[in-house]
Amino acid sequence: MIDRRSLLAAAGAALMATSLVGTAQAADMPKPFDKPEDVKIALVRYLSTGDFFQAYLAGVERQAKALGVDLRVFDSRQDAALQADMVDQAIALGVDGIVIQHGLTESMKAAAQRALDAGIKVVAFDVNVENDKIPQVEQSDRDLARLALEQAIKDNGDSFKAGYVYVPGIAPLDRRDETWVKVKKANPGIEEVAVFGTLDNPIANSVANQAGAALRANPQITVMFAPYDEFAKGVKIAVDELGMTDQVDIYSADVSTADISAMREPGSAWVATAATNPAVVGEVSVRALAMLLAGENPGASVIVPPTLITQKDLNDQDIKNMEELGQKLPQFSHADVATPAWMPLPKR
Amino acid sequence: MGGAGMSGPVAPPPAGEDRGRVGGSSSRGDTATRLAIRYGFLVLLAGLVVFFMAAAEGFTSVFSAVFIFQSVAITAILALGVTATLVVGGFDLSIGAVATSSMMASAYAMVVWNLGAVEAVLVCLLLGLVVGLINGMLVVYTRIPDLLATLGMMFVLIGLQRIPTEGRSIAAGMTLPDGSTAEGTFSAAFMAIGRHRFDLVEKNVLPVSVLFMLAMGFLIWFFLEYTRYGRVMYAIGSNERAAALAGAPVRRYKIAAYMISGVFASVGGILLAARLGRGDIASGNNLLLDSVAAALIGFAVLGAAKPNAFGTAIGALFVGVLLQGLTMLNVPYYTQDFVKGAVLVLALIFTFTLSHRQDR
Repeated sequence: MIDRRSLLAAAGAALMATSLVGTAQAADMPKPFDKPEDVKIALVRYLSTGDFFQAYLAGVERQAKALGVDLRVFDSRQDAALQADMVDQAIALGVDGIVIQHGLTESMKAAAQRALDAGIKVVAFDVNVENDKIPQVEQSDRDLARLALEQAIKDNGDSFKAGYVYVPGIAPLDRRDETWVKVKKANPGIEEVAVFGTLDNPIANSVANQAGAALRANPQITVMFAPYDEFAKGVKIAVDELGMTDQVDIYSADVSTADISAMREPGSAWVATAATNPAVVGEVSVRALAMLLAGENPGASVIVPPTLITQKDLNDQDIKNMEELGQKLPQFSHADVATPAWMPLPKR
Repeated sequence: MGGAGMSGPVAPPPAGEDRGRVGGSSSRGDTATRLAIRYGFLVLLAGLVVFFMAAAEGFTSVFSAVFIFQSVAITAILALGVTATLVVGGFDLSIGAVATSSMMASAYAMVVWNLGAVEAVLVCLLLGLVVGLINGMLVVYTRIPDLLATLGMMFVLIGLQRIPTEGRSIAAGMTLPDGSTAEGTFSAAFMAIGRHRFDLVEKNVLPVSVLFMLAMGFLIWFFLEYTRYGRVMYAIGSNERAAALAGAPVRRYKIAAYMISGVFASVGGILLAARLGRGDIASGNNLLLDSVAAALIGFAVLGAAKPNAFGTAIGALFVGVLLQGLTMLNVPYYTQDFVKGAVLVLALIFTFTLSHRQDR
């Protein structure tokens, strides 16, 4: 009997101790994060297939965990109407904040407004919902494209024949396209001889088929600008299959473990990519939402700066996966964005 | 190869049929229609090839031809599989999902379980067989209509392929759900399925996937057209009850058809994994739609007006030639979808309208 009581007491003390530590932390936090377990946030996704989106989700989960909030994930899998319905579901669920990840302006604009009307804070990542009250988290696609193209010009001079992979109507690709158009204008020696692109999944497989056709129709191409890593993977498959690895250089945006190993294959045509760490973007999305919930203003657009990653960097520092990339290129693993003093950061 | 159509039901109509019609000119018109139905699609394909040869630079080469075959290999294999279910009057909506699940299974077997190429391939084939068996049993024993049963299976598989990795794609060096890093890699032998090329005329021309497609195409074509089993399958497709009364074990044949479809789709998934070098979560719906389109276009080839392996292969090739040629001409993807749809509708008109008019 005594034994049990003392055990209970010990257990109770232990519990108290941990909860004390918990409250000590939470006491420094602004409302509503003094009771983070009561805060419910939702992530409503349009795109989820591919390494980028997996890593993004991991970042969202990590930051939500660091804050201690309850995260719900809604995945519409490229169904615009369903995504709008999912915002309504989140509203019905009584969440405090919503992160909208990608989507179409037309379908999300009204849905986002409905969420605001219900008193819910909203941030949008990579989708323009045309609303001043909703901060845009951006991985600065223009900078991404700029970094990759600057490297292309550095490697190949300012006059070359280029192939370009593009699907219009996807916000980040449209923003990357703006830069491509600008760079082409500024460098009249760059000649765009082939444009193709598709989002039929598996994307890399469909793009490989197209890229094969484009490269055979235009065998003089020396630079492929594929500003999305699934595109670049497809182009690389085609370049390999056609035996054009020595001739063609691929410049892309985004990065993942699979991309790193593709870039590091001996003689790989994929020479450089510009990327923001999708996990960091995910963390920043949640931090921006948390600032809104705490009554702070993260700014109308929250921009996560990109990093240029070259094949040479990867080989020289023997980087094999995303983890090592974060360790060996520290600018890649954390962005000092949306970080007020009270904000708990995920452990590294 | 032309033998496929010879055994079809659309043999020239009996001489008596023309008697009711007025005048010789209509009879000549009938011959023209008959020829149009029989060879129209092949002529169209030839015309398309000639057009692209003239319009698209780089279209005319051995390499180009091989690349077209390679780009349709996976779709064609799936389409050949679904043809088997079409023959018995069924349908298999799950092939796209079977293919992507098989891709994930092979990647999982090698990257996470550290298995070799042979084991990974066996895992995939087993998956295809089991899914086909379940599909067949659902259709035959629970009497769920084929479209609904295989639709259900499609969703089950799209979900199932994500469960082991919690929705992540599989690549060498990936982080597993428990936080550890996967040790295995895609074995070189497995990658060779997607990347090795045999010598044909020139060095390193013929990819393994094309060889697979040709071999499997020949196999299913021979099976359906020239074996007793194939003929029983056609008999079941045209009149299930009559076939049953004639003593055919209808249920077993139907289940077998779905198993063929499942195995073909899983081979498609193996080729997909070997080409991409990783397991990519994907619904495979585009694969499904493209391969069904190929099989349906196949109805129109040689005026068969029924599912047939040769037609399916031509159908897949037709779509492949179109997409390759259009891409070479810088035509954007949405226009390509439009053209694909138009071709399908045209093929269906060939099959259902023109052929039937002639039958009357």
